[in-house]
Amino acid sequence: MDELDNYKRVWVNQAEEKNKLSSKEIYKLAHSKSSSIVKWIFIVGVLEFILWTVVNITIPDRFYKIYEDLNLMEYLNIFMGLHYVIILVFLFLFYKNYKRVSLVENTKKLIQKILIIRKTVKYYVFYNLATVFLGSIVLNIVLFSNDTHLMKVMNPQNLTLDMQQVVTITIISQLIALLIIIVLLWLFYKVVYGILLKKLNKNYKALLNLEYKL
Amino acid sequence: MQKDLEDKFLLDFEANQNIAHKICRLYTTNKDAHNDLFQEITIQLWKNYPKFRGDAKFSTWMYRVALNTAISLYRKSTRQIKTQDIGEIDYKIKAHDYDDTEEIQLKALYTAMHQLNDIDKALIFLYLEDKPYKEISETLGITSVNARVKMNRAKEKLKNILNP
Repeated sequence: MDELDNYKRVWVNQAEEKNKLSSKEIYKLAHSKSSSIVKWIFIVGVLEFILWTVVNITIPDRFYKIYEDLNLMEYLNIFMGLHYVIILVFLFLFYKNYKRVSLVENTKKLIQKILIIRKTVKYYVFYNLATVFLGSIVLNIVLFSNDTHLMKVMNPQNLTLDMQQVVTITIISQLIALLIIIVLLWLFYKVVYGILLKKLNKNYKALLNLEYKL
Repeated sequence: MQKDLEDKFLLDFEANQNIAHKICRLYTTNKDAHNDLFQEITIQLWKNYPKFRGDAKFSTWMYRVALNTAISLYRKSTRQIKTQDIGEIDYKIKAHDYDDTEEIQLKALYTAMHQLNDIDKALIFLYLEDKPYKEISETLGITSVNARVKMNRAKEKLKNILNP
């Protein structure tokens, strides 16, 4: 007889695992991709932050000429400072969400956490879109409130245009530009966070189903 | 996955989960790593279940998916098992025929198997589980002849570790 046959008997005699999982726990394990999705939300948030910071740094100075012409440089700096603080707060929330989700131990809590995470991401996207929208509204109010400013910005070559024409052209071009930017930004967020949120939603629905079923 | 398919999977897996636990005990030596591997095996089984046609037994299919998951994970991480980990897990004999010497033997067996490479571990595991060569070769995706040759080498290695 092979000497290993003795060990075989011992092997067969070993106790079964004490901490066996119920089918509910198994289901949760199979679906517990949530924490990795939330981790990606955090990583993507950081990458996006880096992207915009790089864009801001590398942007040529003449882009800011309009703000200088309107004497808004100081406000712009204050606003940018505030903006970075808010974004950092969001990143911190993303990070906290991720930490929280990795510690969750039951389905019900995970469902609640996913709801919070979805909200955070929605607020984040909404904040970014609103900033662009409100920013351009403010810029336009300042622009239109003063004729000389308007002529200086919109008609730097001093062409012979009457005020009415300048105003019409400005409004139309500004509206089109704003629309394009908002749509592009919205698409960007839709793609970047939409995919992650969709996965999270799928997970959420599966978990919800489970709660009802068991 | 359809709901009835899901339910069937959960029942089958729940009943056969000890296979996965044994594989985890073999490829990891602490609680966290055990749970991580168990989760990875669960996810792999879940993902592949729609492809499982039922022409093999669930347990046979489970051996294959679980072992391959353990082997591929073990390959990625260089030398996961650290000696100080050993001792964190109790290797127990069934309560009703508890035997002190058997428990010591079981522990020695696990300690020795932890020193084998990922493939040898799988071979010895399937041998201990009393699987025929046909099933062993199918599980590991090698020919029956190859399985025999490799098995003999793995057994020799194990014997040398057990009786230096």
